[in-house]
Amino acid sequence: MEHIKTIKTSNLCESAKNGGCGECQTSCQSACKTSCGIANQACENNERK
Amino acid sequence: MVHQFKFNELNIVLDICSGSVHVVDDIAYDIIEMYENHTQGEVFSKISEKYADKNISNEDIENCYKQVSELKASGSLFTPDTFEPMADKLKQKTSGVIKALCLHVAHTCNLNCSYCFASQGKYHGERAIMSLEVGKRALDFLIENSGSRHNLEVDFFGGEPLMNFQMIKDLVAYAREQEKIHNKNFRFTLTTNGVLIDKDVIDFANREMSNVVLSLDGRKEIHDRYRVDYAGNGSWDKIVPKFKELVSARGGKNYYMRGTFTHANPDFLNDIKVMLDLGFKELSMEPVVCAKGDKEELTEEDFPIVCKQYEELANLMLEKHKKGDDFTFYHYMIDIKGGPCIYKRISGCGSGTEYMAVTPWGDLYPCHQFVGEEKYKLGDIYSGVTNKEAQEEFASCNVYARPDCKDCWAKLYCSGGCAANAYHATGSVRGVYKYGCRLFRKRMECALAVAISRALEEE
Repeated sequence: MEHIKTIKTSNLCESAKNGGCGECQTSCQSACKTSCGIANQACENNERK
Repeated sequence: MVHQFKFNELNIVLDICSGSVHVVDDIAYDIIEMYENHTQGEVFSKISEKYADKNISNEDIENCYKQVSELKASGSLFTPDTFEPMADKLKQKTSGVIKALCLHVAHTCNLNCSYCFASQGKYHGERAIMSLEVGKRALDFLIENSGSRHNLEVDFFGGEPLMNFQMIKDLVAYAREQEKIHNKNFRFTLTTNGVLIDKDVIDFANREMSNVVLSLDGRKEIHDRYRVDYAGNGSWDKIVPKFKELVSARGGKNYYMRGTFTHANPDFLNDIKVMLDLGFKELSMEPVVCAKGDKEELTEEDFPIVCKQYEELANLMLEKHKKGDDFTFYHYMIDIKGGPCIYKRISGCGSGTEYMAVTPWGDLYPCHQFVGEEKYKLGDIYSGVTNKEAQEEFASCNVYARPDCKDCWAKLYCSGGCAANAYHATGSVRGVYKYGCRLFRKRMECALAVAISRALEEE
């Protein structure tokens, strides 16, 4: 019996390898301006994709 | 670190440090909860006892326990946090590189909203307008300090930036010349209350602005409670037709209908529904930022009401998704299959280092919310950053620099939160605004639940 279904996600540990290019938006830029979030930012690193 | 929560009929388990997401049955949910601080024997006996009437075999419990152990062994569950040494690396790698400026082109406003964090656009100072010369120098400063970064972001912010519209147009023309010379790409955003939108603004914004942020609080009575002109008249009737015209002419380019909710409307889902009824699909509703004790401040009694809105909003999104009638909520935009790399997630928001605000006379501040806080004035666009001590405070401000974030499951989703909120709540940029954190965690659970439900559907 399957008790656990794992959703396909990106691996954060792996993202350390090609991450950190800095091309993504700054976190508060453009929409919220008053409450910081990171998770909803898009990655703009073409090498990682 | 593992975080478990339930949403509708889903049991969700997040492995924070690997980013893995699991949807589990009740037995697995309980086993995972006990796994790290109970022996295998204790887990078996507790599960057998709890599910005695469910006809679960020992073999099945054993099998489930084994699946949990396998996930741990494969690095998808109970992954240890080994990221702390990387916390400064992104900032070191990009040290001195500025990639975004918030240009305060008008420290004045044609509305007089009592809840405005910028005190009616004046930022606790004098009314002022940015000259074209200052604007050009600000863009030159950004280009000079942007290193190899190609995409440069500039917000036209205020007060009300359209009170300085001709200068914005002239400055964008200058930017388009400069980006060719320096091989850069400017992405502009305009944040406006809508009062001065006309055909000329619409044409310009839809041609030149990558994003437009339109301030609307939702229901007319809610919007007009705070967003009034200097004679006290509400602005809803005046701006909504203009927003509709702008959005319909935008042709799919980014915009956000951005509202603020306060103690007057903790039931903000009703405001979102009004925005949807008006035909807007790209939405953002933000909790008010105000001084402690202000009448707009969200209270402890508001908290469960706000949480309920986030839950119902998630369900509304799922419901509409099924009908092919999708809409976007800024804080629920989460890409569980991609999203930011670990460097980004632990580096903090970038205020004071890669992002700065520029006042109408060219002073630099860590972000728009610090403008007017003299001790955080970083320098100016002519001499650059001279207040190195203040900048260092921001440069070293990452998720591991905040003791309150250490054991928080949401730290890789918020990266330590907003420095300005922290400063206003605790007097330190390394503090945390706890009420905001509680809201963030709730928001993030709902965002994840939406993303997971959709992923399950796709699979």
